[in-house]
Amino acid sequence: MSGQGRTSPPTGRGAKGPPGQWTLAWRRLRRNRTAMTALGIFFAILLLCYPGASLYSRHIAHHGPDFQNIQGKIEVNGKPTPIVRYDGTPIGPGLRSEYPLGADANGRDLLLRVLYGGRASIMIGITSALICTLFGLLLALPAGFFGGAADGTIRWLLDLIWSFPVYLLAVALATALVVGGADIGPIHIESSSLLIPILVIAVVYIPYIARPIRGEVLALRRTEFVEAAISHGTRSTRVMFSEILPNVLPTAVVLFTLIVATNILIEAGLSFLGVGVPLLTPSWGNIIQQGYTQMVTAPWLTLAPGIAIVLTAVSLNVFGDGLRDALDPHARHRARFSTDPRGAVAETEVEAT
Amino acid sequence: MRSKVMVFPALLGILVIGLLAGCGGSSSSSGGGGGDEGTPVDGGILRAAINDNPDHIDPALSYTSEGWQILEATNNGLLSLKKASGAEGNKVVPDIAEALPKISDDGKTYTFKVRRGVKFSPPVNRDVKPSDFKFSIERLFRVNSGGLAFYKGIVGADEYAKTRKGGISGIIADDKKGTITFKLTEADGTFPMFMAIPFAYALPKGTPDKDISSVPDARVATGPYMVTSYTPKQKLQLRRNPSFKEWTDQSPNGHLDGIDIAIGVDPDAAVNMTVNGDLDWYFTAVPPARLTQLKAQYGDQVNDYQRNNITYFFMNERKAPFDDLRVRQAVNYATDRDALVKIFGGQGEPTENIVPPPLKPAYKKHEYYPYDLAKAKQLIKQAGVEGTDVSVWTRNQEPFPKATQYMASVLNQIGLNATVRVLDQSIYDDTISNQKTDPQIGINDWSQDYPEAGNFIDTLLNGNNIVSIGNNNQANADVPALNAQIEKANRMPLGDARDRMWAELDSEYMKQNAPLVPFLNASYPKFNGPNLRGLVFNPTYFELFPSMWLEK
Repeated sequence: MSGQGRTSPPTGRGAKGPPGQWTLAWRRLRRNRTAMTALGIFFAILLLCYPGASLYSRHIAHHGPDFQNIQGKIEVNGKPTPIVRYDGTPIGPGLRSEYPLGADANGRDLLLRVLYGGRASIMIGITSALICTLFGLLLALPAGFFGGAADGTIRWLLDLIWSFPVYLLAVALATALVVGGADIGPIHIESSSLLIPILVIAVVYIPYIARPIRGEVLALRRTEFVEAAISHGTRSTRVMFSEILPNVLPTAVVLFTLIVATNILIEAGLSFLGVGVPLLTPSWGNIIQQGYTQMVTAPWLTLAPGIAIVLTAVSLNVFGDGLRDALDPHARHRARFSTDPRGAVAETEVEAT
Repeated sequence: MRSKVMVFPALLGILVIGLLAGCGGSSSSSGGGGGDEGTPVDGGILRAAINDNPDHIDPALSYTSEGWQILEATNNGLLSLKKASGAEGNKVVPDIAEALPKISDDGKTYTFKVRRGVKFSPPVNRDVKPSDFKFSIERLFRVNSGGLAFYKGIVGADEYAKTRKGGISGIIADDKKGTITFKLTEADGTFPMFMAIPFAYALPKGTPDKDISSVPDARVATGPYMVTSYTPKQKLQLRRNPSFKEWTDQSPNGHLDGIDIAIGVDPDAAVNMTVNGDLDWYFTAVPPARLTQLKAQYGDQVNDYQRNNITYFFMNERKAPFDDLRVRQAVNYATDRDALVKIFGGQGEPTENIVPPPLKPAYKKHEYYPYDLAKAKQLIKQAGVEGTDVSVWTRNQEPFPKATQYMASVLNQIGLNATVRVLDQSIYDDTISNQKTDPQIGINDWSQDYPEAGNFIDTLLNGNNIVSIGNNNQANADVPALNAQIEKANRMPLGDARDRMWAELDSEYMKQNAPLVPFLNASYPKFNGPNLRGLVFNPTYFELFPSMWLEK
């Protein structure tokens, strides 16, 4: 009678305790085929970009993503065809081992550029989301826990950060740093460093993480187990990190996955504006940026990285939604009620139940 | 002289438009053409468009090709560049002056006889006098014109620039005799050129010492057209000047009744409007990405003009590793100029010269640096600079970043360690022209202010012109012997002997000093409506409105 064991209370020696929050979430997540497919797509993209790019470069293309072959020719249908025509139009996609996605105006293999570009885009998306989530938690925990002046100050700071338009801030920073880079104490950041787009994206999106988590901390602060810990004389930092943090972590994980997708899109936008990833490092954003002027004659230059961005962002968003459902099964109900015209009342009723 | 830049579209739009573009589209072909065949027909209003406001409609202040194109139709100077295409258009001819100036033996005094009967447009409606020219040149100093440098060689000009009182002593205007004399501090054979560009156009005495672009009564014309209305960001209207009477074939009456210029039409939209029959003519060139398609579908309506310009990489001779001649020569050997022309959409011709071909005989083709990667690597090894870090600077306007990436790959191939620095178009020129920024190597282009080889060699390479801010000699080339030769050439009168000297200097600089990697003489592809005829492209004024006519 498989499956029934879960409904019976564990008895006798060696019986396991009730499954933990993460185990339950994983079980729920595995049942969500859409989310698992999305996760599979994201892993496939990671595989293609990391080992796949190197393998393709070494064993098939026999050159790197920066190899420029403007004057070269390849065999197409038995005829030598220039990789870049005299009018600057590069060769398009085709079923062949060389330049299968075509080339860019500098005669570089587009497939290789897109694969290597994924590395930069995903790395920036994940790193900036990690920084963003870490700082979001560090701000949200004391704000929600202590309330009062601490909460007021942190909320004001979050409002201040939120008020910065990310693109304008990035353009201003890039313009200011392009000549000499940045000096933060003893640390010198080169103008061509990836740290600049990573930090800009991370800082501007801290409120995206901090605000909802602060709300959860505020609610948890009034729960009995937290009050009990405080009345036992547990230090505030310990209460925050031992009692409250594990309870807000699922939300943080969900927001993290969603913000990775957002950050990849932001990176693409910044690089498109020429203030993101340095020009010589391929990223999906700067591949689009360099291809858009040839959109009419060589649309593959924008389509290939565009499709890669769409696939990555959609897979991460769908997976993030599935993860949220798995970690907080009530969230879907809450979401449904909150869209109801009687939203506020209905939600309160569900929460109370 | 620079032309204006277009704006970036939104990121989301790219994907959508890219998808649409990928789906293909229908095309329509049309006959007609933009040539100058047929008998000109008078009448009609030209439907024109421009990306943004022209910089100024004031001869003293305008310093863009768009502004000069309008001013050529509305105003005149003592001299003019011949209203013709190609090399012919580089010749200086009399305009309001009856003849070319009399030049004193020492080359320091230029005397012009002013033609009688040339009238200012309403509301002034009187003859142009020699004193109006004196007033106009002095006004340049009072409104801080960008063209001041051209007239600082006039005796008393420096003093007047400081005091702005008492007039410039070196300009003597005699309204009774109808003459005007310019005394120069030293001989300058380029002076007639300076009198043929819009900065020296006549404005009536009493014109306010401020930008007259938006002051209708002060926008007084002498040419066949006058600006009758101007609403910035919306429209600009030119109509016939009722006071105008053709005085020579160099001051033609014009065929069109007027020109309506819509402001705020970007180059891509202009192409679409022209294809749809809503536009006859656009101010700037076809976007490179559209050119191939337009040539295929509307070949008769595309004109590829040759401009006096050069696109190049400069190598800063004061900064390592480019302080070593072998490194500069290595970069020249390692650069495949044909590859760079492809990056520029094949719009132009590869070159190794500093002087552009239309300025023959000052242009004499040389080939000191055929593509030779092995030799370049050898030179770098000899110089002992392998692995040196190099930043290649570029503006963010396509295709400059692509060309700069190519150069970075070239530098890496020959053993240097190159990165690319991208600056916004709006700050690029100021940044690389500042000695404090001191870039090692960067891309730039130079379009003539006036059609003379000296405007390239003297401006870009004369060591005596090196300044700390606004430095056009970004290579910091400073070879005393060649500087002296430039000064000597400048003093010579315009003509073959002077041109031969520029050709020699071009050759010597590239051979002995290699401060630049010249690679492209860019062409200027234009796309116009099927009924537009009479297109004449002068390298200085660009397409001439008075020559245009509309086929009915």
